[in-house]
Amino acid sequence: MLERIVKAYNEAVFETDKEAAFEVVEAALAGGLTAEDVVFKVVIPAVEEMMSNITKDPDANLAQHFMTAQIAAEVTEKMLLKFQQPPEIIGKVVMGTAHGDLHSLGKRIVMGCLKALMVDVVDLGVNVPAERFVDVAQAENAQVIAISAMMVHTATGENGASKVRRILHERGLEERIKLVVGGAPYRFDDGLYQTVGADAWAADGVNAGRIIVDLIRGIKKS
Amino acid sequence: MSILHVSSASGEHRLVASDGQSVRDLLDTTALRVRAACGGSGTCGACIVRFISGEVSPPTVAEYLKLTPEERAAGQRLACQLRIRGDVHIELEHPAPPSEWKSIVPENLAEITASRPELSAHRYGLAVDLGTTHIRLALWDRRAGKRIATRRGANPQGSFGADVLNRLEAARAHPEHAAELAASAREAIMHAVRDILARDIGEVTPMLAEIGEVLIVGNTAMLALLTGQGGEALLDPAYWQKKVEFQPVDRSAWQQPWHLPNARIVLPGPVAGFVGSDLVADLLATGLTDGPPGSLLLDVGTNTEIALWDGACLHVTSVPGGPAFEGVGIRHGMPAEPGAIYRVSRSSGGYACATIAGETARGFCGSGLTDAIAVLLADGCLKSSGRFAVSPGPEGYALDPANPATAITGIDVDAFQRAKAAIAAAMEVLLRQAGMGWGELRRLCICGAFGHTLDVGRAQSLGLLPPIDAQGVELHADASLAGGERALLSPDGAQRFAALTDTIKAINLSLIADYDEAYINHLRLRPIAGAPSP
Repeated sequence: MLERIVKAYNEAVFETDKEAAFEVVEAALAGGLTAEDVVFKVVIPAVEEMMSNITKDPDANLAQHFMTAQIAAEVTEKMLLKFQQPPEIIGKVVMGTAHGDLHSLGKRIVMGCLKALMVDVVDLGVNVPAERFVDVAQAENAQVIAISAMMVHTATGENGASKVRRILHERGLEERIKLVVGGAPYRFDDGLYQTVGADAWAADGVNAGRIIVDLIRGIKKS
Repeated sequence: MSILHVSSASGEHRLVASDGQSVRDLLDTTALRVRAACGGSGTCGACIVRFISGEVSPPTVAEYLKLTPEERAAGQRLACQLRIRGDVHIELEHPAPPSEWKSIVPENLAEITASRPELSAHRYGLAVDLGTTHIRLALWDRRAGKRIATRRGANPQGSFGADVLNRLEAARAHPEHAAELAASAREAIMHAVRDILARDIGEVTPMLAEIGEVLIVGNTAMLALLTGQGGEALLDPAYWQKKVEFQPVDRSAWQQPWHLPNARIVLPGPVAGFVGSDLVADLLATGLTDGPPGSLLLDVGTNTEIALWDGACLHVTSVPGGPAFEGVGIRHGMPAEPGAIYRVSRSSGGYACATIAGETARGFCGSGLTDAIAVLLADGCLKSSGRFAVSPGPEGYALDPANPATAITGIDVDAFQRAKAAIAAAMEVLLRQAGMGWGELRRLCICGAFGHTLDVGRAQSLGLLPPIDAQGVELHADASLAGGERALLSPDGAQRFAALTDTIKAINLSLIADYDEAYINHLRLRPIAGAPSP
């Protein structure tokens, strides 16, 4: 039965058909599957497959990535409410858009993927001052600060990622908290993330999920 | 509608003419302008063309006065006197030197009956719609209530970047760029005015002194760049919700280089940091607030601006959902110019592409792109996800297999999905702000050239336009210019702008928590689900 559900769910996700995906999930629950099984055996493998496919599938477009990430996030969110006990969280990320930047969509896609991958996300919203990123990451014991910037002046500006890097350095947090960035300017210049002092960057919202999970695992190991 | 076939040194051209239109008026809307130094009255005799064949009006008195019997026997006619009565073939041997400026096609102009009989001096007035991509303007004899001529040309600031952000960034980074951006837009406006005076009146310098008002509307970035101030503030979110003011620092510094000693320069204030005075001009032109509650205005341009009238309040916002409809980011995208596919229909086993001026298809304008995607979706070639049922590869799916410029690629579909989702989500947010549902929409005013050739039903099938009866849909092509013209011809134009601006509630979508979710939900290619009326 599980195989059939996985196939039907993956098909719905491939078609970016949210209503169909929820129908599959509802039918699976009615058929006796637990919410935990839905997340760990259906949704997460689908997200992981999407991540590995994203660079291989030349026909998948941005709109489809947005929609699939949204489906994963919504299904996971709904299933979490039905969990017998709180799920095991693999780590925590503090996320927001750079100071001066109000473009929230990229952040939203990353958050959707992270939630589906059992990463706790503290969303600081848009136009976030550098100090706040670090203050909250410290208070929340987060492993990663993720900053989205969609404009050249917010990606490279002195109040964005570079300032977060400086504060991390001043407070001696660089081994405990990693800094990742994303957004259009970093795609146009793939060395830009280093210029602004980030540890990593991702070309799209779905891959950002994977990179952040890798960073969390790296910190937890050390 | 007839076809005017023009043979010239630049090649053979086919233009669509309306019955009774003069050859000059038609050619003035294209790059094939005749020489001219009067307003088409036949007094300058410069617009000579050679008639070859077809149905036309007989020679007029002016032509007998200006052309010798030999010239007339050789088929020479004055283009301003020569009216098209059927398919016509002419030769244009001596066109005017190439110019950036063309007349606006008459069907895009609003009919305005207003005048300022009380004006005793400086009776002329200029209305300008300063767009990101195009500048449109109209010169009026305000006293007589007569539109003398119009022009449309590229905004020269485009060399600093097609989109607003690149230009603001250039102005912020280098003060000399800021000065250059401001000067280039002001020079362009004056070139167009001089072009009108030279070609449509026949006198330049004395007429400049007769211009009593220049009224300019535009989006906030254009106004900031034009006045050379405040551009930096527009990049700072702290200013986005606030009322912003862009006025010339020194009016005489504009009047002098313009040689307009008597012109009042009027820049009606924009609504907020992200909604310009061009939208207020749209509201004036369409009379949106005179309509029923549930009236929606959509101005699809480089930025798309949207207004919803709920009977008491105007909810307004702006989204960056437009460039795809002007061909930006579309493989074979192009503006609505000759050779652009504007309509796609099925024909025996394949598709037929209708192009502007009937020329060989060179690409898609906004309505053609919409039509193509709608037809491919309806026929199952495309799926609601935006994926092709069978991948056509990077070259895309050619509607006409013999013409690669008729191809739609997966990337084009993606750009379309993201543009239409941004617009649909913005409309949804406005409806929510007003406490209304999709089912309560009664009137839809589509402004901008985009709507002109749009098949509304097909746009609705993709979720680009809301579900609303066809009778409720109005097309207003150059509405921002028309609003500026109305203000120019009204003694209290500035107050009418201000009064409308005061009823507006501007909504910055970046601060609306569920906008992103609405956006993602509107990415699928399907009609907007009409929520039942409460």
